[in-house]
Amino acid sequence: MYFCFGFIYTQHTLIHYNTFNLENGLTVIHHLDESTQLCVINTLYNVGSKHENPNKTGFAHLFEHLMFGGSVNIEEFDEELQNAGGESNAFTSNDITNYYLTLPSNNIETGFWLESDRMLSLDFSQESLDVQKSVVIEEFKERYLNQPYGDVWLKILPLAYKVHPYSWPTIGKEISHIENATLNDVKSFFKSFYCPNNAVLVVAGNISLEKCKMLCEKWFAPIPKQQINKPQYQKEPQQTEPRKETVFADVPQDMIVMAYHIPARTDKGYYIADLISDILGAGKSARLYNALVKKNPIFSELDAYLSGDIDEGLLLVEGKLLPNVSLDDAEQAITVELNKLKNTDVEELELQKVKNKSETNILFNDVGSLNKAMKLAYAFILGDIELVNNEAELYLSVSQNDIKSLAKEIFDENNCSTLYYRKK
Amino acid sequence: MNIDRTIAPQTEEILSFNLVEANSSKLENGINLHSIQAGNEAVLKVDFIFNAGSLHQTKKGQASLTNRMIGEGTSKYSAQQLADALDFYGAYISTRSATDESSVTLYCLSKHLKSCLTYIYEMFTDANFPEDDLKILTQNSVQKLAVNEQKNSFLVRKHFYASIFGEENPYGSSINKEDYQNINREDLVEFYQTNYINKLEHILISGQADGTALKEIEVFCEKFNNTISSKTIQFPSFNPVTEKKIFHNKPSSSQSAIRIGRNIFNRNHQDFRKFQLLNLILGGYFGSRLMKNIREDKGLTYGIYSSIESYKNGGSWYIETEMNNELREKGLIEIYKELKTLREALIDKEELQTAKNYLLGSFLRSIDSPFSLADRYKILLDYNLSYSYYYEFIEIVKETTAEELRNLAHIYLQEKDLYEVIVGC
Repeated sequence: MYFCFGFIYTQHTLIHYNTFNLENGLTVIHHLDESTQLCVINTLYNVGSKHENPNKTGFAHLFEHLMFGGSVNIEEFDEELQNAGGESNAFTSNDITNYYLTLPSNNIETGFWLESDRMLSLDFSQESLDVQKSVVIEEFKERYLNQPYGDVWLKILPLAYKVHPYSWPTIGKEISHIENATLNDVKSFFKSFYCPNNAVLVVAGNISLEKCKMLCEKWFAPIPKQQINKPQYQKEPQQTEPRKETVFADVPQDMIVMAYHIPARTDKGYYIADLISDILGAGKSARLYNALVKKNPIFSELDAYLSGDIDEGLLLVEGKLLPNVSLDDAEQAITVELNKLKNTDVEELELQKVKNKSETNILFNDVGSLNKAMKLAYAFILGDIELVNNEAELYLSVSQNDIKSLAKEIFDENNCSTLYYRKK
Repeated sequence: MNIDRTIAPQTEEILSFNLVEANSSKLENGINLHSIQAGNEAVLKVDFIFNAGSLHQTKKGQASLTNRMIGEGTSKYSAQQLADALDFYGAYISTRSATDESSVTLYCLSKHLKSCLTYIYEMFTDANFPEDDLKILTQNSVQKLAVNEQKNSFLVRKHFYASIFGEENPYGSSINKEDYQNINREDLVEFYQTNYINKLEHILISGQADGTALKEIEVFCEKFNNTISSKTIQFPSFNPVTEKKIFHNKPSSSQSAIRIGRNIFNRNHQDFRKFQLLNLILGGYFGSRLMKNIREDKGLTYGIYSSIESYKNGGSWYIETEMNNELREKGLIEIYKELKTLREALIDKEELQTAKNYLLGSFLRSIDSPFSLADRYKILLDYNLSYSYYYEFIEIVKETTAEELRNLAHIYLQEKDLYEVIVGC
């Protein structure tokens, strides 16, 4: 990769990897790093909250909790892992569920043993389900209800999405959906999605390819392939009218959130949208901050960011208003800034700046085996593992004209959902 | 292949580790330069550390606002010009101000280090604290504080430290709205001149800290006419409140935030590392007693943890959680029950072994990246320790007995010594 403006040509260290498939359809990606004493197993299941039934939301995430409650042959997942010096965690998004564990590399077989057993089958128990239901309900309260502005995500998504399952957040639409989950729901969810042919396994760290292959054969190959029943969902149709909603809450200041539909993660437009959000909102040199927090103070905080989904996602502008500023004025001021991107070419230097920022982000995200493992798994799900090595070039290829034409396309009031979050 | 999945694979104990050590040197002008070369990526993290924490301020807010304003303009560059320049090189600057010290951290690609240092130098020698930028910063900080004060977890933390150290002690005090409003430009200029100009004390560079990077840093350092007088400030005494059960009513909260704990020794104390193991067993990891009992068995909370924090002049230890108001009493009973068990009963062999294995494994994780190696090294620097502090860690953990841990619990975890702070309704 190289830069103009006098920067020297830089060839970054590539992430090297090998891939192989087991007969049961499990894809394995191996990455060797001999400088570490650790080894990571990252298991990504191609299931997220977008695959849920609209009347049983929050399920993919609840299920993630159950994956730590013991599997068919192993009663205590965490205890066995900790005893081998390991640690693990997981996260669920709209698109995927990702599990990861780290162990001293000489104990990595314990990780294969544990991870394969819970892919084989869980120890489904009503008791474990009941406990995790209450844990998740407390999580729902702690993170979404008992926080100022905590429910913004619960409000803006159903406004922006009318058809596509991104209309509910990963935690679920409402607490009752979690309360109503039954053991049968859990079992059928497992059967539909938790199988080798719906997963990708990344083994990264101080482990040879031969050993990795041997352990995969030993522990994962015997797990049978399953019929995957992925529910079909509809693409979100193009929005054709401005959408607005007002919420009143006990908060210290008004807030505005404006959400614009953007292209899918695998589209070139995603990279353009990402750079647009950086021009607007990343760091102290960003446009929104300088114009509306510094020069003409209307907001105390103002950001722009992407929702980061695989299907068509959102670019969000979110700001907390200073006292005595009206939501109308705030909205107007943001719109003026967004329109500048539609009407005037972004300066070459400014575009170069956000490209340089993305280069830094990419490189810092490569530090450590765990980061690399997650990145490899995600790139595979996006359809091209090589993205781990060539995403920087995709950012570099964005032109001034790309920015202007995508800005014209997305910054349209008919493509915008606005949430007015008013203090009571 | 037939395998018996009920039998765990053989595991090995952790007997040794490889640790990349820092290289340190004291430059002629007194700046201490520390470097750690590790990792495969061409990235750098550079910490610039000043003896300029809130301990050294004469007015509340002085240290933290000076620190946060350091990139907000110099006589040569406006705040936006500085931000534009650093962003152009893809760099990130973060600032941090604590009680004991303040720091500025640069994250950048190795190839841009030299360019970034030009601007950093301006910040450290010629920051001019524009009145307007300060006004915006304080106004926005007041707004942010108002949001935070609606969070039970924020309030419980603030009340807890104020209780165990005393509101006037630097470890117990917090900034309020009036402090922000009372601070003016002159306060920052004065603090900057006394504690920043030619007072750069340590530089800690990690990542691709090769010869080129070090040379660039040395050239940068040579420009300072440092005059570090090792000023010693008498650390004010602690003045804990007498009432140990503290309840703050916050109507309409659906959960209560709880902190139970005390002030305790710091890392230099001989019991520190064994106490770390005890803390781990009680609430320091996912397999801890509190987590197992209160989350995994009873489902009363999303999370419950216990932690020990070390500062240069003291320490704190606490259990923290957020739980349903109605189930709070039930949760509290369980917490005190676990403490009592630790004081009275011996931890069984298996549980102790698992905790030890986990602790050593997590130590390996904590020395795995260049940046975490820098964090480990910073601890040695802060407490005047040598690397043997880490090398003897395996031995210390391995030899710790259940009797010793029960004894520590008996000494340090008596209910009568613990503060219980609750924010909820």
